[in-house]
Amino acid sequence: MLDFSILVNYFDMFLDGFKVTIIASLIALVASFFIGAIIAVMRITSILPLRWFGTAYVEFFRNIPLVVIAFFFYVGTPALGLEFSGLTAGTIALAIYTSAFIAEAIRSGILSVPKGQMEAGRSSGLSYIQTMRMIILPQAIKIVIPPIGNQFINLVKNSSILALIAGTDLMYQADLISAKTYVVFDVYIFVALFYLVLTIPLSTGVGYLEKRLAKSY
Amino acid sequence: MIAFEQVNKFYGDFHVLKDINLTIQDGEVVVVIGPSGSGKSTLLRCINGLETTSDGVLKVKNIQVNEKKTDINKLRRNIGMVFQHFNLYPHKTVLENITLAPINVLKQSAEEAKKTAMYYLEKVGIPDKASSFPSQLSGGQQQRVAIARGLAMKPEIMLFDEPTSALDPEMVGEVLDVMKALAKEGMTMVVVTHEMGFAKEVGDRIVFMDQGRILEEEMPVEFFENPKEERAKVFLSRILNH
Ligand SMILES: Nc1ncnc2c1ncn2[C@@H]1O[C@H](COP(=O)(O)OP(=O)(O)OP(=O)(O)O)[C@@H](O)[C@H]1O
Ligand SMILES: [Mg+2]
Repeated sequence: MLDFSILVNYFDMFLDGFKVTIIASLIALVASFFIGAIIAVMRITSILPLRWFGTAYVEFFRNIPLVVIAFFFYVGTPALGLEFSGLTAGTIALAIYTSAFIAEAIRSGILSVPKGQMEAGRSSGLSYIQTMRMIILPQAIKIVIPPIGNQFINLVKNSSILALIAGTDLMYQADLISAKTYVVFDVYIFVALFYLVLTIPLSTGVGYLEKRLAKSY
Repeated sequence: MIAFEQVNKFYGDFHVLKDINLTIQDGEVVVVIGPSGSGKSTLLRCINGLETTSDGVLKVKNIQVNEKKTDINKLRRNIGMVFQHFNLYPHKTVLENITLAPINVLKQSAEEAKKTAMYYLEKVGIPDKASSFPSQLSGGQQQRVAIARGLAMKPEIMLFDEPTSALDPEMVGEVLDVMKALAKEGMTMVVVTHEMGFAKEVGDRIVFMDQGRILEEEMPVEFFENPKEERAKVFLSRILNH
């Protein structure tokens, strides 16, 4: 039987960590979406330097461990005169890491919109950017919602790396509680439940959005 | 006025357009015909810069299409284009499809754009479909919306790339009727089509292409009754016999 007294006695700590996890995830989620969208557009433009940059960005950040990026911003950048708290460093790392995956999802979504849509937009006098914004991206988003939803769920789970750099998130607090109480099993079960409280509504929401968009036109 | 002077185009090593010389006057209706792969679409798409030319000079209203300093978006306001597969925006209503460019390119107010859109929807015969989505329309209706979308920019030139080829036979007529009306109002039109009836009725000139070259340029009556080129004869007998 689970020892609920741990949950009750240390509820404030759990809650603090939970809040930090939510905030870090939310910020990283919004940031990674915007960075990802910009990188995706770079990857498909005909302007070569932008395209190279986009490709390098994706290949680099997708292929190194998240922890390495997090440590870079936590212990690496102070050498360059930039100091971040564990929470900030971790959130930046999460945003950058996730944005590489989101960029790829958006890129394949954009490429799946028929070529004739861009041609119709451009031949009516709209600029490339206008056509992207008003015609291509709104259609791509429909295709891209499920993979992006999965990335967001991964993001929430990945936010647990904050614990490694004193990010005061849920996982970090759990480590503290379990060190204090010598209870391991129960503490991490509760932590798992807290994560589920975030990820289950997220995946339900994505599923709902997917259905609604499918019906929209 | 559209003027091709010695225009060539390559896709890599492949020579798609060969020594194209063609002048189209304001108000003229030019019908481009020729076998599949002869370069008709490419020719048409060069006019609004959807394809670039490799050499030679192509001018539309005295502006060089491929010049670096040409504002291509501005030039395109004056050139409407209708595609074989309509290319309507599926996520926008019929009305939004038509008003998008007038609002965002010509900076018309939503109200003004809507008024213009309704005028052209009226004209193509489907004002009642304004709030439908493209997926709710028949092919013929979608193509008429696409024409209205082009016209709403008040262009001086309209390009049509096989506008009836993707339609069920019973819907071809309704689209051709709209195009004929447009031709009679004096619109400058370049039309790639296999509809010989249309070509005869409203075409001022037939341009026959084969393997990237313009082989014959002729008044419709002359072309259909008395084709000079052997390949034009073969082509005509093939399409007229089915
Ligand atoms: N992007 C491209 N890259 C390479 N070759 C191309 C490209 N687009 C067209 N072509 C080739 O150029 C030739 C002319 O194509 P085009 O589409 O202009 O022909 P068309 O006369 O319109 O034919 P159809 O009646 O089938 O539409 C074809 O052989 C085609 O395969
Ligand atoms: Mg073609």
